[in-house]
Amino acid sequence: MMSPEHNLDQEYGFILVVEDDPDIRSTVADILELEGYSVRLASNGAEALITLERASAPPSLVLLDMRMPVLDGWGFARSVADMGMKLPILVMTAAQDASRWANEIGAQGYIAKPFDLMDLLASVSKYAHHA
Amino acid sequence: MVPDLQKLSADQLIQYVSWGFYLLIFALSIVRAIRSPLRSNINIAALFSITALTILLSVLTSLQVLPEGGLTSSISTSLILAMPYTLLRLADDFTEIPAWQMRGAEAILVLLVAGVFLMPPPLPLWFVLSLIVYLLAFFTYTTVVFMRTSARTSGVTRRRLRAVSVGSIALIVGFAILGIGLFVPGSSGFTRVLYDIVGLVSGIGYYLGFATPRTMRRAWQEPELRAFLSRAANLPRLPDTRTILQEMERGVASSVGTPGATIGLWNEEKRVLRYDVYGTISEAPPMMSLASGRAFLTQKAVFTPQVQLTNAAYVSMAKRLGAQAILAAPISAGDKRLGVLVVYAPRAPVFAEEDLALVQLLADQAAVVLESRALIDEAARVRAREEVTRLKEDFLSAAAHDLKTPLTTLVAQTQLLERRVQRAPDKPIDLDSVRRLVKEALRLKNLVLELLDVARAEQGKLVSELEFVDITQVAEEVCARHSTERHPCSVEAQGEVLGTYDSLRIFQLLENLVENAVKYSPEGGAVHVRAWQEDGWNHLAVEDEGIGIPADDLPSIFNRFHRGTNVDDRRFAGMGLGLFICRGIAEQHGGRISATSTPGKGTTFRVDLPVNLVLESAGAEVEAPGLMQESRTA
Repeated sequence: MMSPEHNLDQEYGFILVVEDDPDIRSTVADILELEGYSVRLASNGAEALITLERASAPPSLVLLDMRMPVLDGWGFARSVADMGMKLPILVMTAAQDASRWANEIGAQGYIAKPFDLMDLLASVSKYAHHA
Repeated sequence: MVPDLQKLSADQLIQYVSWGFYLLIFALSIVRAIRSPLRSNINIAALFSITALTILLSVLTSLQVLPEGGLTSSISTSLILAMPYTLLRLADDFTEIPAWQMRGAEAILVLLVAGVFLMPPPLPLWFVLSLIVYLLAFFTYTTVVFMRTSARTSGVTRRRLRAVSVGSIALIVGFAILGIGLFVPGSSGFTRVLYDIVGLVSGIGYYLGFATPRTMRRAWQEPELRAFLSRAANLPRLPDTRTILQEMERGVASSVGTPGATIGLWNEEKRVLRYDVYGTISEAPPMMSLASGRAFLTQKAVFTPQVQLTNAAYVSMAKRLGAQAILAAPISAGDKRLGVLVVYAPRAPVFAEEDLALVQLLADQAAVVLESRALIDEAARVRAREEVTRLKEDFLSAAAHDLKTPLTTLVAQTQLLERRVQRAPDKPIDLDSVRRLVKEALRLKNLVLELLDVARAEQGKLVSELEFVDITQVAEEVCARHSTERHPCSVEAQGEVLGTYDSLRIFQLLENLVENAVKYSPEGGAVHVRAWQEDGWNHLAVEDEGIGIPADDLPSIFNRFHRGTNVDDRRFAGMGLGLFICRGIAEQHGGRISATSTPGKGTTFRVDLPVNLVLESAGAEVEAPGLMQESRTA
């Protein structure tokens, strides 16, 4: 199971979903996988950093929730910047300040919860790097 | 006889100086009594007239204008006899001397003077001795009265009475010296000088005390006034207006040197002046017949030397305060009338006319303090309003966030299901997705119900149908639902704890408390529920070993929107409504809820509920279903 995905990662990259709510996380993963994306999951910023370190190639997109325990969206973005990485990020939040927060962390765009499935897919295809 | 200055001896010089001094203060006191014929001014004039007349008689005798002995001697003896009586009258000007003492002193004085004039000279020894006893007794008595009154008073009044006490002691010493001079032969020259010096001291003491010159009075008021003014800057920051008023009243009383002062605050709505005298509140419209009302209505300081009260209530109040003389000044800031400052004293001479200006100054200071206080209060109100707005905004954004989270899954998951079915109509729907939908739908349901409960709690409509509820059983049920290995929950109760309640709400109350206890406890933290009956009340306590609640937060945890300052709101999702609803449930059952906590150790929530519920606000709506059921069964 790992090796074909791994190959896909290298070819097309993967989408990293960072979200603390397990149901939203799984649902987003299911939606993306149905469209053929390779998806990796993290329940907070710290887990996401570990996933990044272990991956052989950078993700094509990070779907990032902002308010999370342990390490929040801001902390994650800062750590990524500190590591000298430049990742395309799509902020995914229920808060009203979505656009401001996206700006703050230098994200490419944002999508407000609750989102429409088509909007999610449109944003993902718009911002994901095609490796 | 014009004294030849070259030949003037020291004792003669002292004598002339003291004569000159006595004549001067005699003149001053007469002028004062004519300009302001108050009882006290007349008494002071009388005292210094006696000394002046005595001096005049002795000068005229030594100049041989008047014959020695006979009538001259009788007159000067009578004048000396009148002195203690005058002093007693002056004592009465500062503190109340019982009427029988005054009348007794008058009777004795008349008897003795009659004796002096009627008995053929030389006066018999027993009579001379009784004159001496009379003088000594009365001088001693008035001295004691002055000293005691001095100890009871404060500020300038105390200093004045001390000067008077010194004058009185000097007078007694003077008479003692005179006695020694008479009985010890050859000492007359020396004792004469001493007598004159002591007499001068006595005169100065009486003058400073009774007819205090303006500059002296100012100097004697200064320490207290200075102390009060330096405190005034901090007064507006005292915890409440009542304390501020009390501090100002004390400060004013000590600055003026009176036993008391009181501030009447103007209530614009009721059109009354409100006084708080030793905890007794009185409210009355300002009246021209009272000094306070006159000062307030005319906006001018008023001095009433002797209050004339007709209203029995005011008479008893005045008596209780020992208020016979009153100084009142308006407290106003620009055109804004804030109230009136009333300074009272048992006797008018405690005041002086220039105190009017002082009291007005103090009233102006009070106005500054009260205005500052009003500004501070206003600022606090604005801050409180801002805080409420902020909490509301926080609540709205938290509520929106909490509602959007399950909604996100619901929307995305249903769309995903739709897409899957479209793409592969034959493939069965996977159970996990459906379970996720059910779970999130329930979560949303609970949130919406919680929000609706908040609205109900605010309207006092949380309690509906009443029935017998066993709190122990509910506690066991709730505990069983939440007990896990990580958070064991146990119930301790003495059998059934029965009461008439809304069973769903009692369940919700316990559920909320136990859920909270679990949520805010570290792993392994046990939750303990106790239920018991005592003194006609049912009690329940939910104890946890959680993170606790900071002492500053405790008073507000049951308020709407409040969340603990030590709560990381990303870790503990919640809108801060649970405890608000709990309070609503407890209070609308006629009970109360409270919490005690040690941060880091744990928290105990305690609920007290009456066994037999008496419904208050929601009464009609609670009874309605019961009545309907009755009619249905009938």
